[in-house]
Amino acid sequence: MEGRAPARRRRASRLHPVRLVILTLFCLVLSGTAGAAAYFLPVVVAGVGQTGQTVVVPPSNSPGLKVTPTPATSPGAPFTVLLLGSDDDGKNKSPLTQSMILVRVDPASKHVTMESIPRDLWVPLWTGENAKIDAAYAYGGAAGAIATVERNFHVHVDEYAWVGLKGLIKLIDLLGGVDVFVTNPVLDDAYPDDINGGFLYGYKTVAVLPGAQHLDGSRALQYVRSRHNDINGDFGRSARQQQVLLAMKIKASTLNAADLPDIVNALAGNFKTSMGLDRVRSLLSVASGFDLANVKQIVLYAPFYTNYGPQISGQSVIYPHWTQILAVTKENFP
Amino acid sequence: MIARRLAAILFLPMMLAFGSGVYLYLGTLKSKVVKTRADIPTVTKPRLVLPGTMFVVQDGRLFRLKDGSFTEIGAPGDWSQPTVTPDHTHLIAVLRGGYSSDLYLLDLDGHILKRLTKNDSRIVDYNHWAFYPRVSPDGSTLFYSYDGPKHVDAAPGDDLSIWSMPLNGSQSQARRRTDPYWYTGGDVTPIPLAGTGLLFVQHSIDSSTAVHSQIRLQSRPGDLVGKPLTSLADNCSEPALSPDGTQLAMICTGGKQIAMLEVAPFNGTSLGPARVLLEGGLYASPTWSPDGQALVYFAPSGAAGHFELWWLAVPVAPTPSPSAAAPPAHSPSAGGAASSILVPSLPATPVPVQVTQGVDLTATSPPAWY
Repeated sequence: MEGRAPARRRRASRLHPVRLVILTLFCLVLSGTAGAAAYFLPVVVAGVGQTGQTVVVPPSNSPGLKVTPTPATSPGAPFTVLLLGSDDDGKNKSPLTQSMILVRVDPASKHVTMESIPRDLWVPLWTGENAKIDAAYAYGGAAGAIATVERNFHVHVDEYAWVGLKGLIKLIDLLGGVDVFVTNPVLDDAYPDDINGGFLYGYKTVAVLPGAQHLDGSRALQYVRSRHNDINGDFGRSARQQQVLLAMKIKASTLNAADLPDIVNALAGNFKTSMGLDRVRSLLSVASGFDLANVKQIVLYAPFYTNYGPQISGQSVIYPHWTQILAVTKENFP
Repeated sequence: MIARRLAAILFLPMMLAFGSGVYLYLGTLKSKVVKTRADIPTVTKPRLVLPGTMFVVQDGRLFRLKDGSFTEIGAPGDWSQPTVTPDHTHLIAVLRGGYSSDLYLLDLDGHILKRLTKNDSRIVDYNHWAFYPRVSPDGSTLFYSYDGPKHVDAAPGDDLSIWSMPLNGSQSQARRRTDPYWYTGGDVTPIPLAGTGLLFVQHSIDSSTAVHSQIRLQSRPGDLVGKPLTSLADNCSEPALSPDGTQLAMICTGGKQIAMLEVAPFNGTSLGPARVLLEGGLYASPTWSPDGQALVYFAPSGAAGHFELWWLAVPVAPTPSPSAAAPPAHSPSAGGAASSILVPSLPATPVPVQVTQGVDLTATSPPAWY
């Protein structure tokens, strides 16, 4: 009996109030961490799968792949992002980019410059072959698109972000829609009816009426994708894309870390970027201090920057006026 | 041993509960734009009781606002742009189908009495749009925007022009009243005047490829283009004529993404100096009160950006001084169009009052108020 007494005391001492408190706190921290980890799990998964994509930009005029050294940029230094938007509806095994926008972000001054690149621009791709610039992504992925833009526009692209149409719809819906002022009616009798399955080459009519309004994801997509009845054609569409991008940015300025899982779910499979978390933080910092006055928008309208010309292989193409384009690009993307 | 088991039994559910609590708590930290969703107007209470009866639209549903409360009316569907006939006995509204839209005559409870147009077709290209219905002051003629005739051998897409048809007639009797500028979206927002006059908004493009909106006056049916009442540079649209026909409220942007709510005197042939009542917001669809003393309009509110209904008393117009009336404050258009004249806002700046809270009214459907 006496020999068992110390053992009982040892066991009893394990439930000493101090140890109990420590154990309780440990369990709470452990379970709280597990709860937070479960909440942010989609972000972690997406962070691994969709952000920080490695891009190996091939040099111009060469099919070979060599790493293009990226100039070291200090944190807070301006950087340039190539935004790519594709109709990832399955029409093409490798989607074309319907939208290409160069965006220069200056986190220090919170200035943003956007330059839309017409999708029909007839340019030499990074391989040396001539084609419409929207094919660069289809042929070479993000690396091909970046190399082609760098070669033709004489800019250095630090990062890229690609989003598919469905991702755009979901993201805008997640933001609760966007507010825009539609300057004129946008009517299109041949709008692609390819989002909700069915015949990929089907088309439908759409009508977005003028005036200030709240657009949900589907209607916003119609607004930025329609081009058939716009007197400015693809240029008008580019201007509308920039407009919605700015409206999204205004909404996004109020987002916080707790929104990340929803954003990731909305963009699942429809978003890829080379940006790491540091760059994303820079973007969020610019978004939080967003001021429309600090945004410069450039659309390469015809006839000054570009010109419509004869079709090539049945394709409508736009011919660049490089002198004007390079001047405006150099000025805004030094 | 028993104490350890007891502790384990107690700790496990505690850990589960706390972990779940952290998960749920993080969910509550989401920003308002993500969390906030619009309420149906019928579950909200307007902050201001407006006189008369008003019809508004949210998410394709028609709502009547009367005596400070909303009632949903009408059959299910994608309804928009209700307008009241001059005798206040009927509504005319737009019903969107998949690829087209049609005008319907409704009673004031939203019951369909008659389909006025038939614009749908199994063949996509043969579908048509009809928007912006408005009945002439004598109640005999229906004016609306319609995307006909279709472009032939051109890029797919069409522009709206203003059409009119007898309200008691059929669509086959409809006649085109304006000639739109191609590939701009066309002409919208007809306001028939007493007699043969017609106000409408034309969209056009200048030499720098910028698209403009301009309020124009057609004095007689054969004049397909009409004369400008505002300058191209002002980019004015969404006109609303006061009940006595002497003032025109409008939205002007000057080509920017923010708007001004302006009011200008109208003598039947031209606009006088415009007064800016509000500026710097996304204002939409101004509509006069039945007594002509106030305006309601839509504008976003809060982080979610949902469009709410706002009320604004319209101050009595000052007599413009010669110096104010002489040079137009807005730059005249390249085409030499008439320019509206700005008069500085009154010292007693009107203060808007937010009428609704938590809804998301369709900003492109002006309220119908009588």
